[in-house]
Amino acid sequence: MSVFYFAALFSASLLGACQHSEPRDAGSVRDDFGAAVIVGAPPRRIVSLNPTTTEVLFAIGAGSRLVGRSMYDAFPESALAVPNLGAALRPNVEAIIGAKPDLVLLYASQDNRDASERLRQAGIATAALRIDSIAQFERDTRLIGRITGDSVRANMVVDSVRATLDRVRAATRSLARPTVFFHTWDRPLITIGGGSFLNELVDIAGGRNVYGDLPGPSGIVTVEDVVRRNPDYVFASPITAKNLRADPRWQALPAVRAGHVLVFDTLVVGRPSVTLGAAARSLADLLHPGAVR
Amino acid sequence: MTPTRWLLLALTVVGVSILAIAVGTIPVPISAIWDAVRGTGDTQLTYVVRALRLPRVVMASLVGVGLGMSGAALQGTMRNPLAEPYLLGVSGGAAVGAVLGQAAGVGGVFLPLAAFAGAIVAVLAAFVVAHAAGARGDPRVLLMAGVVVGAFANAAIMVILANAEPNTVRNALWWMMGSVGEAAWPQIAVLLGYILIGGGALVALGREIDVLALGEEAAAGLGLNVDTAIRRVFFVASLLAAATVAAAGLVGFVGLVVPHIARALGLRKHRPLLLASALVGATLVVSADLLGRVLRPPAELPLGAVTALVGVPFFLAKLRRLT
Amino acid sequence: MIAFDNVSVRYPRATSDALDRVSLATTRGTITAIVGPNGSGKSTVVRSLIRRVPLRDGRITIGGQPLSDLSGPDFARRVAVVTQREDLTFPVLVSDYVALGRFPHLGVWHAAGPADESAITAAMGTAGVDELASRRVDMLSGGEWQRVRLARALAQGGDVLVLDEPTAFLDVGHEMAVFELLERLARDGQTVLLVSHELNLVARFASHMVLLDHGRVVADGRPVDVMEAGVLERVYQWPVSIVADPIDGTPTLVLKRSR
Repeated sequence: MSVFYFAALFSASLLGACQHSEPRDAGSVRDDFGAAVIVGAPPRRIVSLNPTTTEVLFAIGAGSRLVGRSMYDAFPESALAVPNLGAALRPNVEAIIGAKPDLVLLYASQDNRDASERLRQAGIATAALRIDSIAQFERDTRLIGRITGDSVRANMVVDSVRATLDRVRAATRSLARPTVFFHTWDRPLITIGGGSFLNELVDIAGGRNVYGDLPGPSGIVTVEDVVRRNPDYVFASPITAKNLRADPRWQALPAVRAGHVLVFDTLVVGRPSVTLGAAARSLADLLHPGAVR
Repeated sequence: MTPTRWLLLALTVVGVSILAIAVGTIPVPISAIWDAVRGTGDTQLTYVVRALRLPRVVMASLVGVGLGMSGAALQGTMRNPLAEPYLLGVSGGAAVGAVLGQAAGVGGVFLPLAAFAGAIVAVLAAFVVAHAAGARGDPRVLLMAGVVVGAFANAAIMVILANAEPNTVRNALWWMMGSVGEAAWPQIAVLLGYILIGGGALVALGREIDVLALGEEAAAGLGLNVDTAIRRVFFVASLLAAATVAAAGLVGFVGLVVPHIARALGLRKHRPLLLASALVGATLVVSADLLGRVLRPPAELPLGAVTALVGVPFFLAKLRRLT
Repeated sequence: MIAFDNVSVRYPRATSDALDRVSLATTRGTITAIVGPNGSGKSTVVRSLIRRVPLRDGRITIGGQPLSDLSGPDFARRVAVVTQREDLTFPVLVSDYVALGRFPHLGVWHAAGPADESAITAAMGTAGVDELASRRVDMLSGGEWQRVRLARALAQGGDVLVLDEPTAFLDVGHEMAVFELLERLARDGQTVLLVSHELNLVARFASHMVLLDHGRVVADGRPVDVMEAGVLERVYQWPVSIVADPIDGTPTLVLKRSR
């Protein structure tokens, strides 16, 4: 099975190597605002204002063409060498235009609609992308690949991530499924909802998010409600875990009393990006140690 | 007010508190409360009561006591039924302190200190502004100075938040909406200390407030050093308010509404009025916290939002009776 | 009892003195009245007594002692001041209101004792307001309210009574009642100093009048000496004539029509 897979990948990459500068198919590509993204030649100066898209660009080999990033884009490490253009939401449009890009990638939120409009009016190709789920990651990585002319590498990245996810899913499929509370933020108390990639990761890792019934990627909840739902485990970042254990309120949760607080690595798990596979793997190792080989 | 009425008032506080401990996302049978408080009985219920319910009910009561007494003292001293504890810039100053603290990364235990420091600085600034305007203790000038300081504080908050990270902004806004949901026993102890000292001082000064309520010239005729007396009441009342803000964020309308309810019970002299305001305040804030927890489960409405929702119709009703 | 010795007072940011070298003295058991047109400084006399405005020059003494040597409560125990207006935003019961008169004696700490209770009861009896004890002060007529305020002043237990426009909002019957009460109090040993614009009432009841004009004393003596047409015309800027009251001969001011 894996040999066949590798062979398919290899031949695809050979094809890709021959068609390095394939002609752009002028067919319209739509971003997550529903707007068409029209690109002529492969962009040579890219501004990416989102940690996920920046990381994807580097992964597909377009990192050297980046001329601007947002202040939050810190992955991979080489991203830090790219000029910092400031905010990712309501960005400084003048600074962006000043970097003379021929492609701008923005996070598709209402806060960025204005910037997106103004950049288009300035004649700059703009794509607003919102990567909240695994499916969106796959679609948008391929989309980015098409726009930048790195489709082959993009497909490789997507396939590699998918392969890891499949492996983890298979390893945990038949195991008992503990319930999990994912602690994202303290004040207010925020957790992940059914619409978040983390919800999918928890599922792949062999757990069940007690707040999977919440619509959207996140939701504000109360300690009492968490106690009522009584999860078997709590996922928390290192700082949050420390506060959790010290907070007398959280002692009301049997999982905390029993020491079932699992600490995840924010750097790996924090974003729906090329690290998705590793993220699923890390969560599975916490929930079902030794299950994934 | 008759002893029976006092007893009823005290029983109301107790009753509402018991209800607030029993009712919530996780129902606690009233019969199980006492065991849970003592630590006998069902383990899980014990944790729910001791860790989740009891601290917030106690803190809510103390916040109500502090704001109620502060409001009653200020309304009597200023002879103005619209006076309330935040008027010397207390709320603005505390908010600036808390926002600055959050932006600087100050965490859980020290955040109330930052808020308290901000509130005190604002009150002192109001006194300085009034003094510079040439009025020694004139309450109207102090009021205007407080408004100026408060407006400045609001502007400062906007400047800080405009350039802050989204997480800081979210934290700050959440704090400003008021909550007793993070009540912890050490903070409760600190608040209790301030209530005992500040509240005790106000009750002791009750007779002076009675005299001040006659007007400044009449009060001077009765031998009171009016300017000093007014400054004293203002400072202690603001201290109490600042302590509540540091503990629970901004909880509006309580200091405004509670003295009116206490006066509706027939009380006029300020010593008993202050004590009744304390009890009414406790009842009001505990009830508001309870409402905030049950109106839209499983979410919790911020305490400040509930008190405003309750306070506004109350005031409209009062206005209609005045005209 | 109360003596002003060359007292000058100037309000902050004012360009002229409100009181200019004013000297006057009250006598035990008599009614002294300060009269004069608006702005002559009458109320300033009261304000300087309760120390709401500082003296620029001169001295005030109470029974020989300088006012500056007396603390607020010391002063209030000896001199009871009834100001022009009081605030009724938060009205109390009459009994509680009169009891506030004991504040200079009790301060914040002491509980009211039998001496205080009897002072309150006696004061209410003298002022004739016993039956109003459980009424709220904002539910009284003008005349009743004024007598209640007098009761509070009497409860302070001093031997000097200072009143600023005590009959300002009263009808003629109540005006007379108040003045007759003050006359009785003076006969019983109180020293009464009052400020009033009611020249004729004052002339009838006071034994000593002080006429102020623009902060200066222009006349000081018995009513018959002070109520002189020439002086009054100059001070009040209106043509007047003085006639003798048909009943008791008191000099009475009659206002003429303007020319």
